[in-house]
Amino acid sequence: MSLLHLAIFSPFLMAIFVPFLYKGLKSIHTGWFVLALPILLFTYFIGFLPITRNNGTVEKSFDWIPSLGIHFTAYVDGLGLLFALLITGIGALVVLYSIFYLSKEKESLHNFYVYLLLFMGAMLGVVLSDNLITLYMFWELTSISSFLLIAYWYDRERSRYGALKSMLLTVFGGLSMLGGILLLSIMGDTFSIRELISQAGELNQHPLFLFALILILLGAFTKSAQFPFYIWLPDAMEAPTPVSAYLHSATMVKAGIYLVARLSPIFAFSSYWFWIVGAIGIFTMFWGSFNAVKQTDLKGILAFSTVSQLGLIMSLLGVGAAALHFDTLNDNIYIAAVIAAVFHLINHATFKGSLFMVVGIVDHETGTRDIRKLGGLLSFMPVTFTIAVIGAFSMAGLPPFNGFLSKEMFFTGMIQLVNLDLFNLETWGMLFPILAWIGSIFTFIYSMMFVFKTFSGKYQPEKLDKKPHEAPVGMLISPIILAFLVVLFGLFPNLLSYSLIQPAAAAIVPSLVGPGELLDVHISHWHGFNPELWMTIGVIAVGTLMYLTLSKWIKLYALFPGKVTLNALYDTSLYAAERGSYTLTKAYMNGFIRTYLVYIFAFFIGILGFTMWTRQALTIDTSNLAPIGVYEIVLVVIITAGIFTILFAKSRLTSIIALGAVGYTVSLFFVIFRAPDLALTQLVIETVSVALFLLCFYHLPKLNRHEERMGFKLGNLIISLGVGAVISLMAISAHSNKMFESIASFYVENTYKEAAGKNMVNVILVDFRGFDTLFEISVLAIAGLGIFGLIKLRLAKKGEEADEN
Amino acid sequence: MINLLVLPLLIPLVTAALLIFLPKSIRVQRAVSVVSAIGTLAASIVLLLTVKDNGIQTVNVGSWDAPFGITLVSDTLSALLVTTSSLITLSVILYSFRSIGEARERFYYYPIVQFLLVGVNGAFTTGDIFNLFVFFEVMLMASYVLIVIGGTKIQLRESIKYILVNVISSALFVIAVAMLYSVVGSLNMADISQRIAQIGSLPILTVIAVLFLIVFGLKGAIFPLYFWLPGSYYAPPVPVLALFGSLLTKVGVYSILRSYSLFFYHDQAFTHELLGILAIITIIVGCIGAIAYWDVKKIIIYNIIIAVGVLTFGISVATEESYMGTVFYTIHDMIVKAALFLLIGVMIKITGTNDLRKMGGLMKKYPLLGWTFLVAAFALAGIPPLSGFVGKLLIVRGGLAEGAYVGSLIVLLSSLVVLYSVIKIFMNGFWKAPKDYPGEENQPVLSLWAPGALLVLASILYGVGAEVMYPIISQATDALVHPAIYIDAVLKE
Repeated sequence: MSLLHLAIFSPFLMAIFVPFLYKGLKSIHTGWFVLALPILLFTYFIGFLPITRNNGTVEKSFDWIPSLGIHFTAYVDGLGLLFALLITGIGALVVLYSIFYLSKEKESLHNFYVYLLLFMGAMLGVVLSDNLITLYMFWELTSISSFLLIAYWYDRERSRYGALKSMLLTVFGGLSMLGGILLLSIMGDTFSIRELISQAGELNQHPLFLFALILILLGAFTKSAQFPFYIWLPDAMEAPTPVSAYLHSATMVKAGIYLVARLSPIFAFSSYWFWIVGAIGIFTMFWGSFNAVKQTDLKGILAFSTVSQLGLIMSLLGVGAAALHFDTLNDNIYIAAVIAAVFHLINHATFKGSLFMVVGIVDHETGTRDIRKLGGLLSFMPVTFTIAVIGAFSMAGLPPFNGFLSKEMFFTGMIQLVNLDLFNLETWGMLFPILAWIGSIFTFIYSMMFVFKTFSGKYQPEKLDKKPHEAPVGMLISPIILAFLVVLFGLFPNLLSYSLIQPAAAAIVPSLVGPGELLDVHISHWHGFNPELWMTIGVIAVGTLMYLTLSKWIKLYALFPGKVTLNALYDTSLYAAERGSYTLTKAYMNGFIRTYLVYIFAFFIGILGFTMWTRQALTIDTSNLAPIGVYEIVLVVIITAGIFTILFAKSRLTSIIALGAVGYTVSLFFVIFRAPDLALTQLVIETVSVALFLLCFYHLPKLNRHEERMGFKLGNLIISLGVGAVISLMAISAHSNKMFESIASFYVENTYKEAAGKNMVNVILVDFRGFDTLFEISVLAIAGLGIFGLIKLRLAKKGEEADEN
Repeated sequence: MINLLVLPLLIPLVTAALLIFLPKSIRVQRAVSVVSAIGTLAASIVLLLTVKDNGIQTVNVGSWDAPFGITLVSDTLSALLVTTSSLITLSVILYSFRSIGEARERFYYYPIVQFLLVGVNGAFTTGDIFNLFVFFEVMLMASYVLIVIGGTKIQLRESIKYILVNVISSALFVIAVAMLYSVVGSLNMADISQRIAQIGSLPILTVIAVLFLIVFGLKGAIFPLYFWLPGSYYAPPVPVLALFGSLLTKVGVYSILRSYSLFFYHDQAFTHELLGILAIITIIVGCIGAIAYWDVKKIIIYNIIIAVGVLTFGISVATEESYMGTVFYTIHDMIVKAALFLLIGVMIKITGTNDLRKMGGLMKKYPLLGWTFLVAAFALAGIPPLSGFVGKLLIVRGGLAEGAYVGSLIVLLSSLVVLYSVIKIFMNGFWKAPKDYPGEENQPVLSLWAPGALLVLASILYGVGAEVMYPIISQATDALVHPAIYIDAVLKE
């Protein structure tokens, strides 16, 4: 356990104290105590910058279940550190913001901060684990804390719905990912990511490689809300806005991106990886932005925007995979895609974080997030407006903000793709830049909507619950800091180049970076009039035009049928699964024991018959059988007659007498086979049971058989014949396969000699196997108690419900 | 102490006999029950540690040498299961104090519970196949009484079904033992294993193996032999249900594990393949049942079936890894199932209903109960680092390594269904707007919660401390993978 481990676990430790702080110090907002931790962690992680700057790494291992190869190896490299800084940095800002957002009087703050801290610790664990099992553990924990946070207001129907949806989809992905992890561990015999990376070449040739790849990507895509799994993210917006800003835009949803980036060195050489990651990413980018435009809830816009931006980063990582197909660092333009991915990841966290906080402010101060009710807030909230403009323009990819730079780099990556003569790109490759461009136009439109529908236009006080005014200073600090970063990174991108971006990118494509080498990361504003710039200009021109004519074509969205959406698919399949399961279960679990016995015996006959047939187990060996005498034949005839009498008897009395006859005849068999004590026992049992039957029978209703139909009887006949036949054939075969001398001779020899008894059966019962007898007697005692209780104790109907449990 | 392994049988047996004479003094009954349960637990822990350090413990009852007399054998697996069963019985007894009601207490509830423990511990400990049958009978007779005691209408209706199915399975058990005896001529399990190993694969033995699978599958509730379970388990009160759900089916699973690793491993292409197919179908039908209902008891009951499927899948793969997973998972499932039953019992006590649609909002007043339930739910679904994870991990990895891809993925995805089914309880029971329930003030919620919480704590420790458990589980697995270890311990003194 090192300081690094302690840092990862510190949010969990803190979480333990939060309820006490909340209960004990009611007058102080719990958030203030919590705030200290992410700040402390952020400064702690800043301390790693000098190490990772030169692609150095730090590794501390802590054994958890070493016997199974499960260690908690904390591993800090450029990629992990970048995420750790995002998690703690944005985390600090979000906590600060939440102090003003959540009222300490009305809200269950202890729950909120416990969940938030759980998440923070879990997320740090995800990005700083080298062991895939530990990573998986933290991964599921992020899903769980997200579930709890979405349902923070758990008495709301929509919150619970959103929480369940996100949990089902992300845990589904998590489990698939676990499958992938296990496959990887089978292929490479380790759970360590770095050890797996070192075997990447062999893994690529393994027959299970593709299977593992798909399973892992399912995990990444569900978490990072890629098409078609994105549907949980818009519903996750039921969470309090600080949570949306933190989990559902800046950090947790990027865990999938992280996973793809982290495992790129293992998988990226494969063309499947390139195509799946790239294509799903770019389509998600388009689809998210396309859907964002029709949203009327500000958070809805941001949710779809997040989907789209995550797709953008994902596609860059996919395209960046092409980098691995070129050996040299020079003129390897595909590395640029990886660099763009990392850069955009940072930018997205800054501008999207600030925009979510803006929405929180608007919601908090006006009581609504519906753009149809909002408008003209500029004069009331000038500061918020400024932040919104900075964030939204950056999102739209406008200069001089950081979003512009990474958007340009994104276009570069997509355009370069067309020139690549790999994986048949010459045919389908054109789709990448086209989708990127169209997606960017929609991005531009919803960014403008976000700003202008809220802040300009007509002020509609009658639709608002509160009179709007500027947010308190405390609530503005965090978004101002983020907006400041947006501008700062826009103007001086190279602040990040070698401190954060290069180390992170190098960790994604380690095979291209020799020891002591650095990737070339230089971000500049002006590249001349290249296609990228023309694309941006096109986006602005077409976007402005479309935004201005929005009311004319927004109706087109209504043409999409509401019933064939992915959401409807989720809802109906969940509903259908429940209804279908209920109907099906009800159908075969009909409550009749006879039906169940039919199932059981049918299986019995079928499977044993099948086994005997395929294994050819039927053997008949008559060599050591005694001859059959007249007595035996007579007894068999009597038994058979008795059985048939039972079957066709019209009254209970006849049945019982016939049953008794069968029993007595069986005991005569014992007599013939010279087992007088068994015969005596059997006779006693038969006598008692017939007597008991006759006693009980007085109380029973008349035997009623006329309603039984022929099919019913036939079924019974077939089953009983089948069971009888199978048992008999098995018994004959078992008898014919006596492979060993049985232990019986021991008893014959030792009954008198060792146990000093003259009756062997008795000695077996009370001595050799006296232990059995002891417990058989217990069985009788239990039965006696049970019958006594059954007769005496009848809990009244009234007490039934209460005593049931 | 050479007779140590008899104690987990003897203590409850003597206690049960004693308690029969004290039906009227409920306080004494309770006190004796708890003290004895603690004693049983302590004895089993000592036994487990002894087995861990000194290897397999055996006792030839009456000093008749194996294979002629009855031999009790405590290997690590059996000691583990005995310890777990004793722990669960202790918790259930504690829970019963405030819930089972004086009427049942006066009618021999506590001695019958002790008898049940005798049967369960005996089944785990015996090294003799006929003696196994006897302990099955003890266990079943006790369970018949527990299911029917109280005599409510639903109990009477369901116990008839339960008894009928089990009487049939007992008859089949005797038939199976007789056939096996005919072929190999011995009842001592180690001796049977040794003798079968001498002849290797024999067609009739494969058939007998399938017959044993039917016998044990009827207790363990695998497809298509589980139909009696949901209805019958639904009838008795929650503490009894907790005992049944966590112990009885596991005895069936244990018997399959024991017989399929010790005797019937010579024709795996047939027997284990069959077991694997049945296991997967068991998981699927369990999942279908678990999402079908809004009744909390029904939901957890169907989860029993899913777990049985997962465990038998692990047995069917039959590698060291999958056996280890099966052992890990069995212990986990016993603890966590009992915990869940006890916790939903508290929910039912508070709300007075089984129907989730009528529950809601418990989180406001009973946060402790809510969080305990949630942890248990996550443990059940195998979320790391809780107890279900390691077992499932090993079962799935073992399955994947053997090429059983479909089965392994189904096991994995069943976790999602399990999670959904229990989260449904959490969301509908604990979340939603708070309600008032008539009579909830009178419920001793804290003392009802405590036994369940104790088990949840055990489950957390078991999961996080997997490394501590590893050598024990690994030792248990060794005896499964190498029957010679078991045989040597019994036959070569």
